[in-house]
Amino acid sequence: MTTALHLVAGLDFNTLPQQLVNGLLLGAIYALIALGYTMVYGVLKLINFAHGEVYMLGGYVALFVSYYLGFRPDKVGPTHSSIWNLLIMLVACMVICSLVGVAIERFAYRPMRSHSRIASLITAIGVSLLLQYGGALFLPNSPPPSISELVNPYHGQSKDFTLVAPPASLKATVDSLKPASDLAAANYKSWLDSHPGADTYNLPKDGDALKHAAQDAKGKYEDAQHKLDTGGVRLIIQTGQAVMLISTIVLMGALTYMVLFTKRGRAMRAVSHDFDSASLMGVNVNSIVLFTFILGSSLAGAGAMMTATFLGTPLTTFYGLVPGVKAFTAAVLGGIGNIPGAVLGGLLMGMAENLVVWAGYSNYRDAIAFVVLIIVLLFRPGGLLGSSKVEKV
Amino acid sequence: MKFWGIRLVSILVAIGACFALQGLTGHWSDYAQRIVVLIGLYVTLAVSLNLINGITGQFSIGHAAFYQVGAYTAGYLTLTYFNSPRVQGMLHGLPANSRLTIWLLLMIIVGALAAALAGLLVGLPSLRLKGDYLAIVTLGFGEIIRIIVQNQQALGGSYGMNVTPKYESIAVIWLLAIVCIACCRNLLKTAHGLPFLSVREDEVAGQAMGVNVTRTKVTAFLIGSAFAGAAGALLAHFEGFITPATFGMDVSFIILTMVVLGGTGSITGSVIAAALLTYLPEYLRGFKGADGNALSLSGANVVAWMVGVALAVGLLRWVMQKHIESKGKRLGFYVGAIVAGAVGRIVGNLVFAHIAPLQDKQIPIDQVRMVIFAVVLIVIMLLRPQGIFAHHEFSWSLVRRLFKREEVPHTAVSV
Repeated sequence: MTTALHLVAGLDFNTLPQQLVNGLLLGAIYALIALGYTMVYGVLKLINFAHGEVYMLGGYVALFVSYYLGFRPDKVGPTHSSIWNLLIMLVACMVICSLVGVAIERFAYRPMRSHSRIASLITAIGVSLLLQYGGALFLPNSPPPSISELVNPYHGQSKDFTLVAPPASLKATVDSLKPASDLAAANYKSWLDSHPGADTYNLPKDGDALKHAAQDAKGKYEDAQHKLDTGGVRLIIQTGQAVMLISTIVLMGALTYMVLFTKRGRAMRAVSHDFDSASLMGVNVNSIVLFTFILGSSLAGAGAMMTATFLGTPLTTFYGLVPGVKAFTAAVLGGIGNIPGAVLGGLLMGMAENLVVWAGYSNYRDAIAFVVLIIVLLFRPGGLLGSSKVEKV
Repeated sequence: MKFWGIRLVSILVAIGACFALQGLTGHWSDYAQRIVVLIGLYVTLAVSLNLINGITGQFSIGHAAFYQVGAYTAGYLTLTYFNSPRVQGMLHGLPANSRLTIWLLLMIIVGALAAALAGLLVGLPSLRLKGDYLAIVTLGFGEIIRIIVQNQQALGGSYGMNVTPKYESIAVIWLLAIVCIACCRNLLKTAHGLPFLSVREDEVAGQAMGVNVTRTKVTAFLIGSAFAGAAGALLAHFEGFITPATFGMDVSFIILTMVVLGGTGSITGSVIAAALLTYLPEYLRGFKGADGNALSLSGANVVAWMVGVALAVGLLRWVMQKHIESKGKRLGFYVGAIVAGAVGRIVGNLVFAHIAPLQDKQIPIDQVRMVIFAVVLIVIMLLRPQGIFAHHEFSWSLVRRLFKREEVPHTAVSV
């Protein structure tokens, strides 16, 4: 009981909205990657372990395109960027990642399709290791490069929202302390002016008293100001991250349209429902599988470009490992093979991670994804939105 | 009588072989001895995972977790209690060396029990989960354990734990490996093993035949994780230093790779793949360049090798898909494909040598070994997806068949 009280007492509910918004932003990226896992799984019943590495390559493509646009670390390039630069990077990442995805499908997964699923899975692990370690031979990774922040036209911009104003008494305290603080500072300054050449670390008695009075008043004032700042509920959203969230939503919308309302999307759903029957019904299964890989990999590329640009994370060839595993966990959480499930799972995962950080257990942020997963799977073995079929004879 | 005689002799031979190995490697360098030890540990891990994955068909990819549980339990107990007056009092009167031996045997059992408990924890949800869901849960369980250990200051946190006193015995490690192999082999050969196979082949049909599916799955997890835990206890005492990074996801993947590469369900295959995959990276590390330093390749050379391998594999697959009746002709095609790959490598080297950024890039062989590991994995899967041994086991009748062309009846359970 006491621990529980202690836990609750340690929480700062004023920062909760900020953490939830951060969780939403992180979760949107997880969802974007998870969509690639879930679509490939839906069509091929294969865990595409190399998907995280496609994401990693997307980050590198963004880096090279930003170099090409002139934002190199070793040269003085343009000081201003525009949204067009970002668009060029986004499109390049999506195109190149989808080419990589297609190549992986064509040369590693398609030959394995007639064999057992575990063989394909091992191939996927092999491709993933090959891209990680093979990439490390040729791509710059030590020291880890990161994309120049100048590429981001919204760099340093943020919107500040006050959700709940701090109590008026705090404001009154700050206002009442300010004149005293100013007065003490002015007194000390005038004393200093009248004693030129005084050593501020070794003052005579009267000067020392003034110095301490000024410091005390300033300390009290700043303390009150800090209480005022953290007293209300504020929300700071960086413009770049808002752009990232909006682009993610647009991409997901486009994906939903393609899957639900186009002919290819319908064929894709048919293949995912029943691979063999779809091929008997005249669906060109190979081209649909390629289409799935194109969609999934381009989403991963877009996600990588956005995280690498707006968050400025340094790139190594293991850049995709952790996000990949977490996004896959998110996909399973939502019910693998289920597109809305992947989005839901990704958002939940991002939220859960930030809530753990908020609660003060940031060391465990990588574990929470799996804890949530295991708990959910114990109660719903098919994931949140998936259905688990009981096998019958 | 004859049965017991053979049993007794084989047990004695096994124990003798372990001590012979220890004697043989006694004067080797620490590095070489460490490789022998790692092979022994990985054989145990691969065979025990094979029981869960290959024989019972439960897709578990978090085996390093059990390894870690065993290592940390044993390491922590040794560090805390071995030098305490009570334990020393109990072991009083024994020579110093055998005190440690008895304690180590105790620690192996404790490590195995702790890991089995963890196996039970994972095995229970496995009753409801199948295939990929189970896979991700086992993977997640491994990560959770690793992160928890990483945040325990009592266990050394992410810096790791020094385990004293050390116990460096190759014989004990290989004995464990042999006990593990013997357990799995005997399980498969007797009626007790049939439920495991039936769960792998068809759960529903097995249940209809009266197999207790729940019990079988949990038993598989218990036995498999107990052996991994025992291996962990030995690792902690051999190395004298363990960190959470020793038990990462990559270790789980490597163990899984051993099982699949050897052929899921084949104990022989797991043993051989474990030995190969442990030795191969170390072997590659040993290559020396002309100047006596570690060998380094040019970027062009690496790319040319990749082109050559891709060409050879592509052609080999193409030949395998053509149904060529004549054995000699087929062999000719295979040789032709490999020669084409070699030619591709040489031509590639000539071509890529003209590309300055590739030619100038020097890559130390140390960095290439994980790439080779990955390529071997992909190539084996593309050319022989059922693994090196498929589901076959080594047996004397197989040897007889090879040499005498004797007809040996095929059985469902390999003899």
